Amino acid sequence: MGKISYMRLKGSQHLRQRLVLATLSSTPILIDDIRHEETWPGLRPHEVSLLRLIEKITDDCIVEINETGTKLKYKPGVIIGGKHLVHDCGFSRSIGYFLEPLLLLAIFGKKALSIRLAGITNDSNDPTVDTFKSTTLPLLKRFGVPSEGLFLNIESRGCPPLGGGEVVLGVPIVPNSLTAVTWIDEGMVKRIRGKTFSTRVHVECEKTMFYTARGIFNRLLPDVYIYSDHRTGPQAGKSPGYGISLVAETTSGCYISTDTAVSYARGEETDDYDDERKELTPPEEVGEQAASRLLGEIEEGGVVDSTHQGMLFLLCAFCPPDVSKVRVGKLSPYGIETLRHIRDFLGVKFIIKPDSATGTTLLTCVGSGLKNLSRKLS
Amino acid sequence: MISRQNTNLMQIVYGKPGLKPSCSIEKSQGSSEDEDSDGDEFFKPKGEINKNLKEGTEVCHVNFEDSSKFINHVKLKNWKDEELIESIRDRFVTGDWSK
Repeated sequence: MGKISYMRLKGSQHLRQRLVLATLSSTPILIDDIRHEETWPGLRPHEVSLLRLIEKITDDCIVEINETGTKLKYKPGVIIGGKHLVHDCGFSRSIGYFLEPLLLLAIFGKKALSIRLAGITNDSNDPTVDTFKSTTLPLLKRFGVPSEGLFLNIESRGCPPLGGGEVVLGVPIVPNSLTAVTWIDEGMVKRIRGKTFSTRVHVECEKTMFYTARGIFNRLLPDVYIYSDHRTGPQAGKSPGYGISLVAETTSGCYISTDTAVSYARGEETDDYDDERKELTPPEEVGEQAASRLLGEIEEGGVVDSTHQGMLFLLCAFCPPDVSKVRVGKLSPYGIETLRHIRDFLGVKFIIKPDSATGTTLLTCVGSGLKNLSRKLS
Repeated sequence: MISRQNTNLMQIVYGKPGLKPSCSIEKSQGSSEDEDSDGDEFFKPKGEINKNLKEGTEVCHVNFEDSSKFINHVKLKNWKDEELIESIRDRFVTGDWSK
């Protein structure tokens, strides 16, 4: 065995994409200067937790972190998957943070994955579990991920700061490789679906969010249905909170989603307030903002919303060496950074053209021909 | 968000051809240059300021928060406004397709 040559990277940015791309392209990486100039340097609890999660679903991967956590060495292993796994995601980021990389890795595993994830199900920083259910899973199916065995069950909900939510995720493996897509028709919005949730607050909150959100859509579309998911007891987790997730379904099978959740801030964020809790955004505003944001996303155009750009590009790049063509609205900063990482790890460069007639962006690429290698080893 | 008008998206994303890819290591240098040029901004012709701004979007923090959710800090549009509603009506099946 010769010396392993590491791809050298800097900073804490886009750790999830780097780990996903490193694993799938079997590139060992070495990341320096992780928050080395900050008061609390090094990796955050959720980042360490993510590394532990990757260790759980892979064989033979090596994670080395230096004492201060500012330096990380990662040598990817083989993705195994497995049934009845359990992982505690902690409280510093929500489960949504873990689901994105987990889904992308698990589809290239040796065996199907089923895992119980505990932590925060809904917060405002990451896509909520409802969005994964309504939008992200259909996106995977579009690229040829089998729908059998692909599920996400919300057993109990948990809001920041104390969480207490639990979901069960099932991910099948792709038999050989994904399927390239030509997906440039966003179609017209035919219906809007949504879900409100509330934990440890009065059910009236949900009704208010529902009415204000619906009030905005009513002038555009009659087919609006928003489900309610009021949780009590142990199913409601440990902290009060409420929120709404909305998804617009189009005639060509695109899902455009937005979501939001409000709850009391996490411990470290409340340092400025002397024990006094900041008032939560009232449910009227939450409903209105979510609805406005969804209309904003629809106005932008594209086959996915801004949140899913990164995942869309990654999936295109993981396809066999066929041409994929997709349309998005404006490129989001996260989407741009994803494109750069894809080039660095897989050598796939997209051809990006603005479509001035509709104000959207067209992206074309030839997939890297990623095969499900883990499966072949068996 | 990056405006599409007359900008080469390929260059924004992948950097100018010939130059080394603008990823990771180059970024720290990029940001220090930006600091130097801060003071001169007033005295530059209009076009050049714009150019700088565009480059600014290219340089992102090395320790950037890792979240795919794009939270637009620009104020949300007032979607109760009748005109605005009309402007996206054709994106819905209920729109007027006789035009």
